[in-house]
Amino acid sequence: MHQENLKAWIVPSLVLASIWVKWAVGLGSYSGQGTPPMYGDYEAQRHWMELTIHLPTRRWYTYDLQYWGLDYPPLTAYVSWLCGIVGSWIDSSWFALDKSRGIESPGSKVFMRGTVLFFDTLVYVPALVMFVRVWQGTRSSRTQNLALVLLLLQPALILIDSGHFQYNSVMLGFTLLAMNFFATGQDLLGAICFTLSLGFKQMALYYAPAIGTYLLAKCVYLGPREGSKLFIRLGIVTVTSFLILFLPFLPPFAPLSAVLDPITRIFPFNRGLFEDKVANFWCATNVVLKWKLWAAQGALIKLSTALTAFGFLPAVMTLLYSGYKLRIEPVTQEAKTTPQPPKQTPILPLLPYALLTSSLSFFLFSFQVHEKTILVPLLPMTLLLSGSSPGELTFELGMLMNNVAVFSMWPLLKRDGLGVQYIALLVLWNRLLGYNPFRTTKRSLIQLASLAVYTACFAFHLAELLISPPARLPDIFPVLNVLISTPVFALVWLWSIKRGIEVSWALGGLGSRSKATQKPASGSIVAKPSVEVSADGEAHNSSESVLPRASGMRTVSLGFAQGRRRKMSSRSGSVDIRS
Amino acid sequence: MSQTHLSPIAARPPLSLAAGEKLAHSLPDSIPEDSATATKGSEDDARAQKTGRFPWLELDITRTEWDILIGSTCLKLLLFPAYRSTDFEVHRNWLAITHSLPISKWYYDTTSEWTLDYPPFFAYFEKLLSIPAYFVDPRIVDLNNLNYDAWSVVAYQRTTVILTELVLGAAVLRFVRGAENPAMQRIISASLFLHPGFLIVDHIHFQYNGFMFGILMWSLLMARNDRKLLSGFLFAVLLNFKHIYLYLAPAYFIYLLRSYCLSPTYTLLPGRFLSLANAVILTFLASLGPFLLMGQLPQLLSRLFPFTRGLNHAYWAPNFWALVTALDRILLKVVSRGQLDGLSINESGVASTSRGLVGDTVFAVLPTVQPIHTLAITVAFQVIYMGKLWTNTSYKSFVTALTLCGFTSYMFGWHVHEKAILLVLVPLSLLAAEDNAYFRTFEIASIAGIYSLFPLLFTPAETLIKIVYSVLWALFVLRPIHRQVYQFPRTVTFVVIDFLERIYIMGFPLLQVFVTLFPLLARGPAAAGGSEHADREETRASPLEFLPLMLTSVYCAVGLVWAFIRLSVIYLARKD
Repeated sequence: MHQENLKAWIVPSLVLASIWVKWAVGLGSYSGQGTPPMYGDYEAQRHWMELTIHLPTRRWYTYDLQYWGLDYPPLTAYVSWLCGIVGSWIDSSWFALDKSRGIESPGSKVFMRGTVLFFDTLVYVPALVMFVRVWQGTRSSRTQNLALVLLLLQPALILIDSGHFQYNSVMLGFTLLAMNFFATGQDLLGAICFTLSLGFKQMALYYAPAIGTYLLAKCVYLGPREGSKLFIRLGIVTVTSFLILFLPFLPPFAPLSAVLDPITRIFPFNRGLFEDKVANFWCATNVVLKWKLWAAQGALIKLSTALTAFGFLPAVMTLLYSGYKLRIEPVTQEAKTTPQPPKQTPILPLLPYALLTSSLSFFLFSFQVHEKTILVPLLPMTLLLSGSSPGELTFELGMLMNNVAVFSMWPLLKRDGLGVQYIALLVLWNRLLGYNPFRTTKRSLIQLASLAVYTACFAFHLAELLISPPARLPDIFPVLNVLISTPVFALVWLWSIKRGIEVSWALGGLGSRSKATQKPASGSIVAKPSVEVSADGEAHNSSESVLPRASGMRTVSLGFAQGRRRKMSSRSGSVDIRS
Repeated sequence: MSQTHLSPIAARPPLSLAAGEKLAHSLPDSIPEDSATATKGSEDDARAQKTGRFPWLELDITRTEWDILIGSTCLKLLLFPAYRSTDFEVHRNWLAITHSLPISKWYYDTTSEWTLDYPPFFAYFEKLLSIPAYFVDPRIVDLNNLNYDAWSVVAYQRTTVILTELVLGAAVLRFVRGAENPAMQRIISASLFLHPGFLIVDHIHFQYNGFMFGILMWSLLMARNDRKLLSGFLFAVLLNFKHIYLYLAPAYFIYLLRSYCLSPTYTLLPGRFLSLANAVILTFLASLGPFLLMGQLPQLLSRLFPFTRGLNHAYWAPNFWALVTALDRILLKVVSRGQLDGLSINESGVASTSRGLVGDTVFAVLPTVQPIHTLAITVAFQVIYMGKLWTNTSYKSFVTALTLCGFTSYMFGWHVHEKAILLVLVPLSLLAAEDNAYFRTFEIASIAGIYSLFPLLFTPAETLIKIVYSVLWALFVLRPIHRQVYQFPRTVTFVVIDFLERIYIMGFPLLQVFVTLFPLLARGPAAAGGSEHADREETRASPLEFLPLMLTSVYCAVGLVWAFIRLSVIYLARKD
């Protein structure tokens, strides 16, 4: 009787439940609470709200840089300004210039937490809902909702944004929106969204090689005429968006040199290779190699840049190669029947893997990485995870990386006083997805590896609880943490490269594909043969071209082409809460 | 929809066990696809098939039930840093009293203003909790360490609430086993374990209601399973944990007397009577005995029953008196304008108005109410229900009468606290899926009752927590039951009533919007923001400061009085 009615309520109530969890985490402490004189990230964000509403734009990036000077791109500054205006309207003492430094009243805390939740709900949550609908449109609505639960309650992001206090979800949300728009074929909108993501937080640069190459590959795929048209459009839109973002720092509003202030603040080349203990290549190998003694700062930066580029090169190459291989031949005949090129590109399935490869190579090899930055590579991995089903390699790896990512941030969370939240969210999320690495009976290689990693994590926590670090090695526990986490991230990086190549090969291995894509099925919807890759890497055209939904290809990318055949058991649906 | 659905409340007869099992499967899947309550299809089978290596270790708990337990525990863990009321310090002080003082001084100690005023079983319970507390952090049980709020004590006390609430969890779990309609009972049991009332009062505000209502549920379960002696014993135990359950005592007394101690032909069964009496007396002896021997009974009783409070609590509990008080305020406005000459104004009552809601309520226009009046009204109503219970001692009749007993006390009692609404909502939940009439009563009482608990958490940070949680709870509890039992009203009168009730429920979002926005709009531009209600004692001469509270109280009172009337009529008019 009310079946339909009830269904309509599910997504809103899931979102509501996730809001509840985020807010409940926010009841806890934040970074730098009660630690004068510098406090932490919370105070930094609050301070930016304070300075943007009181100072002219020209001084935003130059005001008292020693005390949390603004070092994020302009969109963050604008958002801070907006929050500051609203907050000052409620209570002007929260953002009084200089006088409000280190303010920790309950009211201001509620307001600050509220802004995070507001922008999260405004940008990230709709992006997730859209992602599930657009990228997983062929799945049942129940599976889609489960994927949504998985994405909404991802513990790492909640702990950092709602607990530690940052606005990562806005940056991630814009990138995700860009992905969604690429999937619907609205590349220009996608480019704008990614520019906004970059304009909010420079960490989005980790995605830039993948996104840029994807768009380039699409231009290649479309052929010389359509491709160059798209290329020029993309160029104009992107440049214009950047110009608008930086408008207050550009002539005629400011002298041309003014734009250097934000730029030098955003890219701090003068800092070291790494500061804190981060689970990346440099920090992990530093245990044996002591990089800072071996090489000069400049040489190290060059080395890290080279390694990073080398790290994301496979993703770039597979994208470009596939775009070239699958390119549409210039239409000479049948011009009337194929007036429009298809909206989706066949290379779309490569995008999540490319994003993962690119962001992980930045995380592992670039300089000045923070432990929180693992959130950036975690997004594409979690997206892939949401499209997989238990038992698959993607699922196991995705869960492993998510849990280890949270574990790798433990020293930070411990410092913030978020230990209880750390446990609660991890248990809740894993339980909700029915993931218990200690329960499985028949173990595959990856499950055994996961088991070893989790055992190490538990041993780590136990040891930290029972033993105090020896005076000679005060950093023993953070270093151990790095040594446990880094191999997992490196493994995922290698896996993403492998999967990228596999998917690319599967796409390209279809022979006369370019002609197939041009045949219009009915109207403008183009039917595509969907691809399945079997365990030995052999590509099959499973002749599902009757599938009227063009999203078939995307489903391939997100879970169904898992390097093995889909199990045709009754439970192969997806992340099933039950199991 | 389903005219012939099974009563979820009655115990399933043992003979029809297999049939009941089948029925459970054939019932439409009424549980929404929610993460917490998603799966249930094959779990009965799973339960049957479960044979592990250590069968004696395995509890009779299904996968979904574990999910709910683990999930809700995680959510409760997140509430550790939430606001806590002075009740937190009250209970910490009791830990200190019972740990550091000999039993003879427990009810005399006045080191803290929060003296021990619960019955002895609760004191023993605190004594038990104080032993691990000492090992967690010795400063917790330091008597002079007032207002101690280190992370250790917060985590410890919050953990004890979560752990002791498992008593409730176990009881509602047992309710599902052997229920006549397990699908519905499962929803009801989950709804009780996840009740927003417990979340607000126990896990945020801080009390041990989950634990004590757990004992009540065990007692009711024993009554359902026809083990009345045990039921009576458990209730006696409960009374010695917290004496507020005396509100429910008449129903227990009549029920056990009529259905256990008397034969159907009204002859006393001495064996049964004596065993029940012995069980109760022994329980009370175990509790009060030590104090009896020390001659401290009068002191103990004076702590338990302080007759020095006013008619209304600081914030009017939304009962009958809230409506009367509101009427008095309106009449005062009318009279002072000189539109009604026949009435005189009681000057102290006018002062009482201007002092907001604090302290003793003295009516300005209406005759002032004395404690004896409230007692008389309460007893009068209860006698009526007890008469009905006397003639019909079925389990369902008993639960209804019990609910009405609590409801009457809540409606007309002296100095009722808003938290007492749990005494109504918890037993009423057991009747929720009976039929549409019961369900609608449950719906109105739950929504109004839970909303009436909102002012307990006046801090801005917890506003979202309490609202969102309650909305989700209502969505996932009320909708499935509604689908199961809904019947379109048959006569025009019922259509109108149904319509008005819907309007009333729709009013709550509006009320919440008003309550949220009022402090923002009403304050002057220079007024300090933040904790508007933090200091309720202080009134800044703003007559409208308490308007949101008054409005909340009156609006909830309308719903609760209506639910009370509904339930009374249903109970008295029906023959079953």
